[in-house]
Amino acid sequence: MTRYSLAIDIGGTFTDAVLLASDGRSFVDKTLTTHENLLDGFFRGVELVLGRAGVGPQAVDDVVVHATTVVTNALIERKGPPAGLILTQGFRDILYIRDEHRYDMYDPQIEFAEPLIPAERTFTLDERTWADGTTAKPVCREAVEAIIRQCRAAGIVSVAVCLLNAYRNGANEEAVRTVFAEQAPEIYVSLSSEIAPQMREYLRASTVAINAYSVPITRPYLTALIAELGRRGFAQQPLIMLSNGGVIGAERAGRMPVRMIESGPAAGALVACYFSRLFGIPDLISFDMGGTTAKACLIQGHEPLVTGSFEVDRRYRFKPGSGMPITVPSIDMIEIGAGGGSIAWVDSLGLLKTGPESAGSDPGPVCYGRGGTRPCVTDADVVLGILDPEQFLGGDMKLDAAGAREALAGLGARLGLSAEKAAWGVFEVVCEQMAAATRTHATDRGIDYRGLPLLAFGGAGPVHACMVAELVDGSTIIYPPLASVLSAFGTLVTPAQIDLVRSLVAPLEGLDWVAVDATLQSMIDESSQALKEAGIREADLRFSFSIDLRYLGQQSELRIDLPGDPREQRESGAIRRLFEQEYEQQYGLKLDDMAIEVVNWRVTGSGGEPQRAAAASGTRAVAAAPAVRPVWIRGEARPVPVYKRGELAAGQRIEGPAIVEERETTIFILEGWTLSLHETGSLVAVRAKESK
Amino acid sequence: MDGVELQILWSNLIGIVSEQARALQRIAFSPIVREAGDLANGLFDERARMVAQAVTGTPGHINSLAAAARNLLGEIDVADLQPGDVLITNDPWMSAGHFFDITVLSPIFRGERLIGYAGSTIHHTDIGGYGIGSGARDIHEEGLWIPVLKLYEAGVPNHTLFEVIKRNTREPKAVLGDLGAQVSSGMIASERLNALCDRYGLDDISALSDEIIARSEAAMRDSIRQLAAGTYRGSTAFDVPGGQTIELKTAVTVDAEAGEITIDFAGSSGPSPSGINVVPAYSHAYATFAVLSTLCPELPNNAGSLAPIRLALPESCIVNARYPSPVNARHVVGMYVPFPILKALAQVVPDRVVAEGSGAVWTVQVQGRDAEGRPFTSSMFNYSGGMGARAGKPGLSAICYPTGVSAVPVEVLEASYPIAFTCKELERGTGGHGRQPGGDGQRIGYRMRTGSPWLLNTIPSRVTTAAEGLAGGGAGAPGRFEINGKAVSDTRKMEMQPDDEVLMVTPGGGGFGA
Repeated sequence: MTRYSLAIDIGGTFTDAVLLASDGRSFVDKTLTTHENLLDGFFRGVELVLGRAGVGPQAVDDVVVHATTVVTNALIERKGPPAGLILTQGFRDILYIRDEHRYDMYDPQIEFAEPLIPAERTFTLDERTWADGTTAKPVCREAVEAIIRQCRAAGIVSVAVCLLNAYRNGANEEAVRTVFAEQAPEIYVSLSSEIAPQMREYLRASTVAINAYSVPITRPYLTALIAELGRRGFAQQPLIMLSNGGVIGAERAGRMPVRMIESGPAAGALVACYFSRLFGIPDLISFDMGGTTAKACLIQGHEPLVTGSFEVDRRYRFKPGSGMPITVPSIDMIEIGAGGGSIAWVDSLGLLKTGPESAGSDPGPVCYGRGGTRPCVTDADVVLGILDPEQFLGGDMKLDAAGAREALAGLGARLGLSAEKAAWGVFEVVCEQMAAATRTHATDRGIDYRGLPLLAFGGAGPVHACMVAELVDGSTIIYPPLASVLSAFGTLVTPAQIDLVRSLVAPLEGLDWVAVDATLQSMIDESSQALKEAGIREADLRFSFSIDLRYLGQQSELRIDLPGDPREQRESGAIRRLFEQEYEQQYGLKLDDMAIEVVNWRVTGSGGEPQRAAAASGTRAVAAAPAVRPVWIRGEARPVPVYKRGELAAGQRIEGPAIVEERETTIFILEGWTLSLHETGSLVAVRAKESK
Repeated sequence: MDGVELQILWSNLIGIVSEQARALQRIAFSPIVREAGDLANGLFDERARMVAQAVTGTPGHINSLAAAARNLLGEIDVADLQPGDVLITNDPWMSAGHFFDITVLSPIFRGERLIGYAGSTIHHTDIGGYGIGSGARDIHEEGLWIPVLKLYEAGVPNHTLFEVIKRNTREPKAVLGDLGAQVSSGMIASERLNALCDRYGLDDISALSDEIIARSEAAMRDSIRQLAAGTYRGSTAFDVPGGQTIELKTAVTVDAEAGEITIDFAGSSGPSPSGINVVPAYSHAYATFAVLSTLCPELPNNAGSLAPIRLALPESCIVNARYPSPVNARHVVGMYVPFPILKALAQVVPDRVVAEGSGAVWTVQVQGRDAEGRPFTSSMFNYSGGMGARAGKPGLSAICYPTGVSAVPVEVLEASYPIAFTCKELERGTGGHGRQPGGDGQRIGYRMRTGSPWLLNTIPSRVTTAAEGLAGGGAGAPGRFEINGKAVSDTRKMEMQPDDEVLMVTPGGGGFGA
């Protein structure tokens, strides 16, 4: 009996749908994202793939997984209903004062986004908790009731509560919620001590404000989704992809939308994990390059790196610091403002730059012929001959090669270079930009990137991956099938997972294991509950533990993954040794006299490995003869063979330089690389040792 | 070197210093480094010219560090340097203007050959002596003076020096921990620079450095050449603890032919008996910041972009400190240095300048015993007022300008020291009126959770002399400093009672346009 699972990934431009059958067949399609009502696109995608498979909704008896950009859209558009914010008396401007820092020291014109919840909807309470967790002043019920009256008058439907030091003890925040639950059950309350129980009031307030702002958007959205799926005859409750790469039930996700923000990109990183397991390669770099940005993620031991904080909606020239910070677990993604639509320009020093300004898809690069006049990365790829102007999107979209060449000639004139040499410059600079970001990101995390294989996908990824690989000293590149809908596919090969973190600041020496035990147990209970809601059986539950440590007096922690459940050994000495090893590896020395402090405990609950996979697409027995076209490489025109991906034969080896075209993307390999078709349907490029 | 190759190598160098700075900030011990970001990292060529700086930090530190490498190397025989050596100093005239700032410089070797230096300056928690504040009467009262020495020699720590530092500071763990972070960041930079040379087949970075510095200098000169030649004047006045009013006067001469700017401080206040005198390197640091951020904020900061800006400092002047003047709180005056220059530049490029703002951040340090009797000395933390308005945008409220530090979160301070904050909110309406209003200041209240008396070192400024508006804009409100509700004007190292409560209201920024 064939089982079916379904995945829908709503991105900024396209909504991708994948239907996967247990016999390995897959059905994929794309449709434009419908921003006015995202669910229209969702169900259009569903109908397309069900139609291709010739089955009805009832056939989908395995999971329905959903990744969505709904929260990000809500934050950028800011059209949601009003939310309120409750802070400690005397500290009402936390969102306005931020950390008092100018993110660009030299630019006097910088700007910040207006706070998501403005001053007129911010309320304060005369209450206080100290940093050691003791309650100095409890919450007064009448004061909360007064706030409730003001909320009602202002039409507030959702409130965020962020009281000082609540990361240490959330009792006062809970007291606020209790009064709301009794007096105003229609107003949804988000607590900072639940959403982001970590030190630093601005980060916590920003995070819980984002959550409260999004709840009134995500809850109706997910409720409508559940209802519509049921109405159409789907038996399964949908699972929602989270930023940390886990999936949870839609109901629970609706209460913590701040955790859904990066769900699409997270799905992309999970695909990389899937291929890392498929190929038996524990460590690799996933490299996804699209129209406006490139995203890279480091996979270590078949798992993506996870970070504790990130930023959304950067308002001023995409600069870090100009957006809103969020501290919840998320896949640790490097996002680089470099895509096919990135504009190339020459700065006042005569240096060639690419991005961060992007021509997007409208007008798009010059070669799109939609009125773009400034040379983009894609224009350079056309001038170089890497992209065939007649075969873009399988020939559905003809590119204006002459226009692209004219734009590059103009750029070249400013550099004293020919159009072709300028185009190669653009190609090199954009690749170096991505490589540099990857190097910094990796070394920042103490990871040696040299020699790591790349997994290349996204429309522009396979075009540039080979050059990027050379620049990060890589020698293997995997080009997976289904590249254009790979993120949606990622949600189906992902185990259900939830990450929890709790601050429990204490010296490592003489740790109070009774308190640790209680904290860990409550985290295990909470994640078990969430996973069971996501349909995981008790027997499949798995937990892993990690701990954030620092030398006493430092403020940034190192995360140490523990080999088992720490409550069994209760061995502080072993934990100290793990920390020292990691510290020395990252910073070149260890500090013997310094005491070590525990900051956070982390529990990751997961629900075993899903057994879904796509089979290889069929290949020909005999290799087809390639066409040949000139491609400009390092300033020289060279005849380069051009293959069709669907016409490659098993076992066929292609020496670089070479091009392999498919409908949505083009693979370009340089000299010194050899490409072959792997049994899984992926193409694999390997660099010969002797070449530079 | 064409525009493609140079771009690739240059962005690599900036990547290396940024990585160096991030590592330093991550593993630092004191809140002032890790939370406030009071640090600078720079990469130098073998001739000690700064080729790249990290994008974090403060102008005072960065531009002082730019000169520090050359100053340090002038004290030693460079030929004697060997792999594993690490140099150190906190000499105010060699590096960043007061003992708290320790500069560490690590030579970078490629094999046997010296190819450059990685440098960092950070503000340390304590350096013995007077502590934070301007009350010392000469420099020797201000703390431990570390001449140019080797902190490590061929990888071996200088135990004598470490012991001297340990015995002469109140918080040795924080100081030694932060020094360790500086040494680590130098090791990281050295490794990364060698990897860059490997990747691109370079033996050294001299050709690259020549190109970067030459292009930066040319771009800076070009941007000056676009200005109308002439001498433009600006002045600023502000009050400092003790009630003294300081005046800074500048004559900014634009040489549109050579593409040079000379800033003459003639007529400015003379040396101060308290520790607010500014060494020339620090004055230069904030003066160049004013010019660079106005004329070409996109231009990377390095030896080339700094070269066309010269200072003329009178012999006896508050911004030309001489031994043995006290200099501990030099930032109080130094952070006002940009304003007279911006007012002068307003006559040439009115659309690009910023109106006068609150000026120096208000720094605080507390010392005492907690409720259990354990002694503590906090690291310095600071709060900002309003920034002046821009021609086309309002001034930002409660934001560090011209410095580049951050405020330490209330929760971090409360978790680190027995301090209890009573408020931290905007003081709305304190920014000056105008077509574009100035940024608002903020109110910060605190007391200590202790049963014993405690010491407060704090340096408010602009509590009587407001930030002026520009082009018809209104003045910002001056700040207020109160203890138990009473205004206090002389705030040098005060002995406080257990229940005393402090209120600081920082000044607002000036408005722009009527």
